[in-house]
Amino acid sequence: MKRPVALIGAVVAALVLTTAAPAAAVVEAGPWTSYSPSFNVQERGCGSVNGLTFVLTCSTASGDQRAERRYATYSSGVRQFEGYFRITSMPGTRISLKQTFGPDGPFFMLAVERGGRLYAVHGGDTLATGATVGTTVRVNTVHNTGNGAHRTYINGSNRHSQTGGSGGYYDKFGAYRTSSGQGPATVVWSGVQFWRR
Amino acid sequence: MRTTVPAAALLALLTACGAPPPAAADGLTATLTSPVDVTLRWPAAEPGAAGQIVEFATDAAGPWTILAFLPADARAYDHPDLMPETTFHYRVRPLRGEASPVVDVRLPPAGADEPAADTDLGWADPRTEPARNTGAPRPGGAPTGLAATVMTRDAVRFTWSDNAAGEDGQLLEVLPAGAAAWTVAMAVDPDVNAVGLMTLATERRASFRVRAVTYGPASPVVRARTGRAPGDS
Repeated sequence: MKRPVALIGAVVAALVLTTAAPAAAVVEAGPWTSYSPSFNVQERGCGSVNGLTFVLTCSTASGDQRAERRYATYSSGVRQFEGYFRITSMPGTRISLKQTFGPDGPFFMLAVERGGRLYAVHGGDTLATGATVGTTVRVNTVHNTGNGAHRTYINGSNRHSQTGGSGGYYDKFGAYRTSSGQGPATVVWSGVQFWRR
Repeated sequence: MRTTVPAAALLALLTACGAPPPAAADGLTATLTSPVDVTLRWPAAEPGAAGQIVEFATDAAGPWTILAFLPADARAYDHPDLMPETTFHYRVRPLRGEASPVVDVRLPPAGADEPAADTDLGWADPRTEPARNTGAPRPGGAPTGLAATVMTRDAVRFTWSDNAAGEDGQLLEVLPAGAAAWTVAMAVDPDVNAVGLMTLATERRASFRVRAVTYGPASPVVRARTGRAPGDS
């Protein structure tokens, strides 16, 4: 896969970083209400969490290797997640960064492989190619629990849409080894916010 | 009689008098080409710019996010499939900074895509190794002494002398064999001068260089408000 970012006399591609503290940047039509769901930290295998820095220290290609935040379950309304991730080191590949879990398991899993390709773990669809190591990527997800519609925006662009069932859902983010992946990886999240309507 | 003043002399005069130089990408416009697609256009980059960056935000106060690194002669950028019913703010900034000399890397034919399991890859983390820096840092100082060491079948460690002061970051750029354009393989923080790269299949024969970059003044901000997404009633 070709890396996407272009430079002098070169092609165009997406490369991202943020330059200021996040504000209320909620997207889509409201009215939206900000809220702060509770969470717990999950560290398994060689995963470790320090604030919003999530590290997989090993290259082990098996077992449960994860460093994540698991947020409280929701089951009503429309929910919006916003966050910015920056992969500061990723000798490994196929690391899940953001997940929406449903009553039957992972509903949507955003992952990255070497070179910065963002993809949906289930189905393998490419979402974007701008997660080059060292750059920052903005993620918004909007999930309507009423009709199951779930949209994922990468740097403002709609890159994935799906629908699902009903029940309790929750958000997770951090660094998680997928079944075909391995570390090491260090991912720094920032500007994490939640809204509902 | 009219007196003609060269543009460069006028710019120097204005700067000396305290007047700001013209902002980069003056004349930036944002046009909705559909309810959820925006095209940006602007007339010119800063003279001598090494490239340009396009940034967006959905709040006027930020945070601003870089959408793309563009060549200095770029005059347009498309931002597609946007979040509906949302205000997008855009600005363009020049990219400044010279690149290091180029190093060529040749790796053996590709094996599996992943590093071998349970391998210590700690050497790949971005590091600042002061002993590698050979001179006093200065604004705009180009990196020197770039070296590439093949560490595994897929991985290369790059080291260099960081000669820049006040840079916003550094870009490791790659030109795969047969490719027409340089692209960014990795971005690292200021002062880093050693980092590992896991190469892609297309980069097993490639040239690399590193560039310390600063971002110039932003253009005036332009805005576009998206409509309903196609299919929404």
